Amino acid sequence: MESLVTFLRLTLLSMVPFVLAAQGTMLGGRTGVFNVAQEGIMLVGASLGFIGSYLAGGSTLVGIAAAVLVGGIFGLALAYFTTTLKMNQFVIGLSLLFIGTGLSTLIPKLVIGVTLSQPLIPTLQDLPIPLLSQIPFLGTVLFSHNILVYFAIVLSIGLWYFLFRTQLGLELRSVGENPNAADSLGINTSKHRYMTAIIGGMLIGLAGAYLPMVYTGTFTEGMVKGRGWLTIALTFFAGWSPLPVLYGSLFFAGIEVASYRFQAGGIAIPYQYLLMVPYLATILVMMFTFRKTRVPGFLGNNYDREKRSL
Amino acid sequence: MTIVRKLVPYVIAIIASFAAAGIFIALTGANVFQAYETILFTSFRTPNGFVQTLLKFIPLTLQALAFTIPLTAGKFNMGGEGQMIVGAIAASVVGILGADLPAVILLPLVVLAGVAAGAIWGFIPAWLLYKFNINEILTSMLLNFVSFQIIDLVATGALRDPVAGHPTTVQIGQGGFLPMLIKNPPLNAGLILALLVAAGVYLYTTRTTGGYELVATGANPRAAAVFGINVKRMFVFSIVLAGAIAGLSGVIEVAGVQHRLIVGLQHNFLVLGVIIALISRGNNLAVPFVAFFIAILEIGASAMQRTMNVPIEMVFIVEALVLLFVLLSDVFRRR
Repeated sequence: MESLVTFLRLTLLSMVPFVLAAQGTMLGGRTGVFNVAQEGIMLVGASLGFIGSYLAGGSTLVGIAAAVLVGGIFGLALAYFTTTLKMNQFVIGLSLLFIGTGLSTLIPKLVIGVTLSQPLIPTLQDLPIPLLSQIPFLGTVLFSHNILVYFAIVLSIGLWYFLFRTQLGLELRSVGENPNAADSLGINTSKHRYMTAIIGGMLIGLAGAYLPMVYTGTFTEGMVKGRGWLTIALTFFAGWSPLPVLYGSLFFAGIEVASYRFQAGGIAIPYQYLLMVPYLATILVMMFTFRKTRVPGFLGNNYDREKRSL
Repeated sequence: MTIVRKLVPYVIAIIASFAAAGIFIALTGANVFQAYETILFTSFRTPNGFVQTLLKFIPLTLQALAFTIPLTAGKFNMGGEGQMIVGAIAASVVGILGADLPAVILLPLVVLAGVAAGAIWGFIPAWLLYKFNINEILTSMLLNFVSFQIIDLVATGALRDPVAGHPTTVQIGQGGFLPMLIKNPPLNAGLILALLVAAGVYLYTTRTTGGYELVATGANPRAAAVFGINVKRMFVFSIVLAGAIAGLSGVIEVAGVQHRLIVGLQHNFLVLGVIIALISRGNNLAVPFVAFFIAILEIGASAMQRTMNVPIEMVFIVEALVLLFVLLSDVFRRR
């Protein structure tokens, strides 16, 4: 019982980077902008989140702002190169991925220099919700987390409402399904693509900042460890919808927590097998779900109104 | 004339990215021109520097080709790293277990094992694409993370070298070593293998029917299918071939350079390989030249870090910027 509570609590805690990054990916994809730079944007978000907080004397808010800002800049770059310059989305995504990866290690070296022991920043405090956190079991599992856990849940529900219950959300989805039709109805396709790519980038940057701010208190090279790539898989089999993204994140986080718990539990399997599990499980799940999931019709393509056919 | 005109965007891209990086280098307080000099000329100052550059050139060329071949067919192989690692693992396991065999038998076995392992590792995403239509970028990338654990498992397992501090296996048998072209500084015959593969890939894609089908598939899969090309099979074939070539790069690291399996031998060859492939715009003839240029930068970068204390990532940013500027030049040419 005790270990179940811990497991569920940790799963919710580890869900956040997946939720934020996948919602960001989903949002961009809904207007047809397919971001594949998650790993790089998360790394640079983690790096700048750490640096920002460190330079501001441990201010979490500054760190988060820095990560969100740099994520937004990467989103803007993606939107500009693909929507305005109509360059290949994968190629640009890969370039941004590399630049993000490079910057993530370069910036700490320039700002902090090489030190013997890594400086630490304070990690996010838990904010138990009054009364609700007193409920046995559920109180610990659901209602005594850091603020970003609540934010991830509220964001997911908010995005669902926005995309499927508002006029703007409908317009935005139409851009990702058939920009030709959307354009003919007077919808500004470029504006929608820019907006979603930028906000999506911000969310992905924030997802990266979560890692030093909650898990480690410091930035280490390559600390995202493939979560960015797992996010793409997650977004695909969540069918590019906000609520399934939330549930899917729980699954990913559960696997991540389980593989670490087993490792710490001293079970007689080499730990390397356990560390393979998230990636193998993802591939397995994709085998069974990939064909059935819905994908925005125009995903990964660039719209040129002067071209006759798509 | 045309070749000169083709080179212009590259030259502009290189100058622009060096200028951009110069600003950052100046911020670190280092002498910018001394840094440029170190980056560009370290490879040519000493015989050792030049050989080191060639040793980088080998895996970079092979990794880039492992990306361009599927790219020709319109697919993205992000699994070059994993394919290299499993190639290295297979080569070293065979090399250690068959340590007593004579070179005539052991060396071909080592090479074949590595190439086959890489091909099999490439076959997995290819099969998932063929059978389930799963995005190959994703699966090939995820398999890299699996391979990191496998190499760790092998290098810390029964074959581990107990005296090495870093996870490393014992040495492979002498018979599994690639022959040396130069003894000192050591340059192995992997260079010839890499050049042969590069030439072979170029000839295959430009001079053969199979290669033409590959190009046709990438140019317009629907049209290719109408003309009776089995498009999906071309996808599979291109990724498996890429895996084999990436596997070979792992073999050369083991049989030619390290003579053992070392965790981390893949460096960042995948990322650089993709950058090289994209700077070459998927043109297989250009790949070795771009790879050589990047190898020069890499050798220069580590010298710069050693002697001037400028972080090595600086050059990585230069490389990524060169790529971005080359891509941008395409856009401006279209106008």
